[in-house]
Amino acid sequence: MEQKQSNSPASFIDSTVVPGDVVLDLSSMTNQTVKLGGGLRQDCDAISAMKAGTLRFSKPNKYWVESSQKRNFLIDVKGPAVGFLPVLAFEGGTRRNIPKFEVGTLLYLRVVKANFGMNPELSCTDAGGKAAEFGPLKDGYMFETSTGLSRKLLSSPTCPVLEALGKKLSFEIAVGLNGRVWVNAASPDTIVVVANAIMNSESLSGAQQIIMVEHLLKSIQ
Amino acid sequence: MEVDREDGRTQNQLRPLACSRNILHRAHGSASWSQGDTKVLAAVYGPKAGTKKNENPEKACIEVIWKPKTGQTGKQEKEYEMILKRTLLSICILTVNPNTTTSIIIQVVNDDGALLPSAINAACLALVDAGIPMKHLAIAICCVAKSGYVILDPTKLEEQQKMKAFAYLVFPNSVHSVLPEGSLSVQGEPIEHGIITSVTHGTMSVDDYFYCLDRGRAASVKLSDFLRRSLQQHSTDSSKAG
Repeated sequence: MEQKQSNSPASFIDSTVVPGDVVLDLSSMTNQTVKLGGGLRQDCDAISAMKAGTLRFSKPNKYWVESSQKRNFLIDVKGPAVGFLPVLAFEGGTRRNIPKFEVGTLLYLRVVKANFGMNPELSCTDAGGKAAEFGPLKDGYMFETSTGLSRKLLSSPTCPVLEALGKKLSFEIAVGLNGRVWVNAASPDTIVVVANAIMNSESLSGAQQIIMVEHLLKSIQ
Repeated sequence: MEVDREDGRTQNQLRPLACSRNILHRAHGSASWSQGDTKVLAAVYGPKAGTKKNENPEKACIEVIWKPKTGQTGKQEKEYEMILKRTLLSICILTVNPNTTTSIIIQVVNDDGALLPSAINAACLALVDAGIPMKHLAIAICCVAKSGYVILDPTKLEEQQKMKAFAYLVFPNSVHSVLPEGSLSVQGEPIEHGIITSVTHGTMSVDDYFYCLDRGRAASVKLSDFLRRSLQQHSTDSSKAG
């Protein structure tokens, strides 16, 4: 097979890998530091893939496997461990001023630390201690999608489906990397249209997403 | 030696394969696998926090539930569950998510021979769909041996005829690698020459068994390519995830 002769990882970058594929040979890359992201593991001198997905590389030395799953195990509260939200992690929080939440409240927050084996630590403030829109989300509608779709929605430049929707409708949206998306708008019809458009856009390319949004908008007018 | 099979296949010919991923919306990973008329559905839920009582908390734990097409679960199903659990434990990387349990549920939709290999293939694909980290994939194949010749992927009729001896074999998949000498080797032999599981029924001679292994390994390369192509197609469908 051709891949076996070439020694460069360039042959696998941006192509699909399957668990077990050896993607890097460290013995030929001495004196370089290589950073491994998710989906890769080290086996002596060879780096092999643990998950199926596309191998990505970003200069100068980061490699990772991108895949879309319904759950993201390592980073978030949809994983196997519950996250800790310290009581003081709110703007203006003191020991006497503890916020009260009911079971089932939806919170938009930031992950401070997420180490392997430990529960992730969360916070409702940004790094400078300000509230910055973190905290409980009122009204609106929350639904769950896969992690790949939420990464697409968060990428910059803006995802085509959000741009197309934003030109005609006005709505507010919060996207979490764990796959949960919250939408709020003035009328319930708008919320439903936006939610449906996002859920349908998972496997469509940019141009197809714009066409799909136009169809949806035409059908409600 | 040419053998006449009822459906006109040659000795080494497999039935048409079909598989699809992500068919169940509530499961974290799901896959369906069919070889000819045998069809199996697999669903993966997990990892969930906590392990069962007697399991090592420093490793992840796998639990398999086998649901037959009709009737209640009995000893045969428990045996399938145990074989599947041991096979999957050896291909998953257990140290990544310690103290968790992953549940795999197998539902038999139709049984027309080679049921356990189809279930193993479906379970492996469902684990990939759920994103559970694995060392490599498992490819399972069924061989029937009878006095000097071996036929692959028998139908139920062929399995039951004349008390033949058959073996279910599970091999690791063939790997694409950047290493010049091929994939990682264990004690001088490439990983593809290994075998994960072997379950035999009936009596067969040692030579017949080794012949089965050879034929099975050759067929597993074809299956492995099929699996790789179906994974590639799926990832290009969900275009540029992330």
